Amino acid sequence: MAITIPGSPQDMPTTAPRYVGKEVKRIEDPALVTGTAEFIDNFALPGMAHAAILRSPHPHAKILRVDTSAAEQMPGVVAVLTGADIKRWCNVGTTAPEGWGSTPMAVDKVRFVGEPVAAVAATSRYVAEDALELIEVEYESLPTVRNPQDAVAADAPLIFDNQPSNVIQDRTYTWGEVDQVFDDADHVYTEKFRWNRVGANPMETFGCICHWDVVNNSLTCYGSYQTPSFIALGRAASLNLPSNRVRVVSHPHGGSFGGKGGPRGTDIAALLSRKANGKPVKYIEDRVEYLLAGAGQSWDRYYQASLAVTADGKLTGFKVDLVDDQGAGAEGYGTISAAKPLAAFTGCYTIEAAQYHMKLVATNRAPTYAYRGYGPPPHNVVLESMVDIAARDLGMDPVDIRRRNYIQPDQFPYTIPSGNEYDSGSYAAVLDKVINMSEYQAMRQQQREAREQGRLLGIGVVNTVEPGVFDWNAYSTVGVPGVGVPEGVKVAIDILGHITVTLGFTLEGQGQYTLAAQLVADYFGVEMDSVRVTYASTDVAPPHFGHGGSRLGVALSGAIMGACKKIEEKFRLVVAGLMQCEPDHVELMDGHMRVQGMPGAEMPVAQVAGTMLGRSDLLPPGMEPSPEATYVWTADDRNEPDDQGRCKSYLTAANACHIALVEVDRDTGITQILKYFIVDDCGTRLNPANVEGQIQGSVAQGVGAVLYEEYVYSEADGQPLVSLFSDYLLPGIHEVPMTEKAFIETPSPVAPLGAKGCGEGAIHTTPATIVCAVNDAIAHLGVQTRETPISPNRLWKLLQDVVEEN
Amino acid sequence: MTAPQQQVQVTVNSVSYERVIDPRTTLVDFLRHELGLTGTHVGCEHGVCGACTILKDGQAVRSCLMLAAQADGANLQTVESLRNVETGELHPIQQAFIDEHGLQCGFCTPGFLMSTLDLLAENPDPSDEQIKDALDGNLCRCTGYQSIIRSVRLAAARVRGGKVAGAHGSA
Repeated sequence: MAITIPGSPQDMPTTAPRYVGKEVKRIEDPALVTGTAEFIDNFALPGMAHAAILRSPHPHAKILRVDTSAAEQMPGVVAVLTGADIKRWCNVGTTAPEGWGSTPMAVDKVRFVGEPVAAVAATSRYVAEDALELIEVEYESLPTVRNPQDAVAADAPLIFDNQPSNVIQDRTYTWGEVDQVFDDADHVYTEKFRWNRVGANPMETFGCICHWDVVNNSLTCYGSYQTPSFIALGRAASLNLPSNRVRVVSHPHGGSFGGKGGPRGTDIAALLSRKANGKPVKYIEDRVEYLLAGAGQSWDRYYQASLAVTADGKLTGFKVDLVDDQGAGAEGYGTISAAKPLAAFTGCYTIEAAQYHMKLVATNRAPTYAYRGYGPPPHNVVLESMVDIAARDLGMDPVDIRRRNYIQPDQFPYTIPSGNEYDSGSYAAVLDKVINMSEYQAMRQQQREAREQGRLLGIGVVNTVEPGVFDWNAYSTVGVPGVGVPEGVKVAIDILGHITVTLGFTLEGQGQYTLAAQLVADYFGVEMDSVRVTYASTDVAPPHFGHGGSRLGVALSGAIMGACKKIEEKFRLVVAGLMQCEPDHVELMDGHMRVQGMPGAEMPVAQVAGTMLGRSDLLPPGMEPSPEATYVWTADDRNEPDDQGRCKSYLTAANACHIALVEVDRDTGITQILKYFIVDDCGTRLNPANVEGQIQGSVAQGVGAVLYEEYVYSEADGQPLVSLFSDYLLPGIHEVPMTEKAFIETPSPVAPLGAKGCGEGAIHTTPATIVCAVNDAIAHLGVQTRETPISPNRLWKLLQDVVEEN
Repeated sequence: MTAPQQQVQVTVNSVSYERVIDPRTTLVDFLRHELGLTGTHVGCEHGVCGACTILKDGQAVRSCLMLAAQADGANLQTVESLRNVETGELHPIQQAFIDEHGLQCGFCTPGFLMSTLDLLAENPDPSDEQIKDALDGNLCRCTGYQSIIRSVRLAAARVRGGKVAGAHGSA
């Protein structure tokens, strides 16, 4: 039976939604503000041991010998794990593209600093760390591949011996008549950019407790897992278990942003448990481990881009040449972040042809992982900087050149050259609103006046499209198989009418449990407080993926609407039987099943559920007594990619325009954000407070990436130089701008309730906005910054050049 | 190998505890693993993130940077003290963080709450700049801080309006 998912909150069976679209308080919060949420390190199992991991100090070396005898003898040690165990028990992890994976612990050689080499489980973490000091490892150094240049050198050492070179993938995608467009252009601008490594750094690092049931040969992993079913499948593959013998129990986690990690730590804790005859083993990654080699490094990129423009400022072609330093292999799916830009390659603009040369290389840096945004933030710095370069050369205001090139509201659905289809948008309306809100012209005046006093003020105006609701097909260009990302929930009404939603992901911060309660409460006309949202582990949950790809709010809405609708259909049959009418004449409205045209002939949903469970004699013959339903949602109409990677991938296209006013201090190179304005459009706002929180938090991460954060590696020997928060600078309360925000709502015509993915839009936009603002501040000096983060040091050097030249 | 042992007596949230511990035990590990007070979280273990902030003799400190032995004889207050166990009522600071969406994942939140408790005890009516200065030692990766500032503002107003015990036990 096809289920129709409501396309708007107005289509829900309620006269007026009481919760959907409102700034309701989050049901997650009481546990969090009292410190009672069960983060993984707050949880223990009886008899549990604690793991610590010995990690490689070398970027590239052969392992000649590992001697664990002294550690094994130490009192309190229950198991020691080395590459020898890995060799007999483990498989190499799968990657996209295939063949660039590792085992969870190095076997014959290490490929990056921080790679696990041995591990100990002991009575406490303190004892386990003591035992690590007794392990002797003998290494033979190999030449280090420090960067992509080293990686492709003629005599480059191979990082993966099973591969012919260090190039993971080297392909060019051509979309439309690129050569023609560039030949015909009045202007072609070409520039180079460098985006240095940044990453997620959730406040809680990864942690898990693994219990290998040695009698039944099955594994349970409790931990801070962002995508539990994906993790479970991966463990089955790497640990040689049938997929139904791995059970993952995800605990509330302290942020993730794609970069939580889990595979290596889980496998190591699992094998320690196996070796300790089934004793549960806890592993809590510490911050130094996370910063050195956790899942917190992403986007290490070298760009060259060209933009084709007509004399009157029409953008016609865009070419991007990317070299992406993936680090030591593709285990963290960092490759996907190079593929995702296809979903919005040409941004808000009607650029007709494009080309993407994507070269992904392996080096001896730590492997790269997902991070919020998953690739477009650097891409958008390139695209939006190129647009500003064109505007500056043509003497156009950055606002005007953008407006000149927008996809217009009547052009949607709009297929961009790289294949994705944007669902809807009102780009000019967003721009107009932010221009008014920021008093843009007054800011320009302020800038002129400041400049007369020798101060460097700059304004950045940047707009982006945020692809929302990912589909696997978006990543086919790096070898990810499949179309569709199922997300399921079960909605059940008990005999007393209380409703429970069961789903396969846990708390991560975005407030989706609250959203689930809002949706169900409005659907069945009950109080939000009476809806319970509960987590199911991977063995019993409906098919699910969980958080990721600005997808879960929309996918969850689809799944919940589907499950509620299925229950409604059952209730229709029950009530039609009881009221002696046709099922078509029964409708759900405001919590009651009503017979149309018969005032007073109605039953509250609780009574219908109670009847189903307690009075089988009153049900239609053969009817299952089950006032519950499971619905698994995936986006409709996604297709297989063509040979140039083109497909309908991300379902929704949200949009935002940011305007920042910054001041650059000429003497120190420090950039200060003076004002920051945002107007965004993510369709229906199901919980406006949650959306605002996603935007502001994502601005903070964007500011971090563009001004402060950087995983620095030694140019001399490839050693990582960042291992503490005093090296890796997360923005604090003084660094993040208190933004002024507004929005417009252009509902998605294709997504449940008209909502669009909205978790990543600001990190897509903020770095580009600040880059454009800084360049606007210094352009008249004849210099430009093309490298992030724009640290005081980098900017000061640029400005010194000017001083010296003058 | 027998580790040397150290006797520690502390008062945490008005309850006195005496334990014999490994002298190298950090205060946060002691609170979490010896006393089972897991509301105080560990984010970096090197004193930058502030997730482990508690009050020691009324002053905000980072419990990851201290040894439990250094807290011998001290009066400690953790996030577990904020909710009224008799009435189940949340502390106005906790309630304000909920009302103003001052948290997302909530992992850093106990540290922010304790820093706020310390701030409001000393300055019941802080300006935004004073709030920022007081919370500069707490990192949050989710919220972008704006809603946290609103939360503290609201908490301050409510604490001023009602008579709520602050960090120093004063009304």
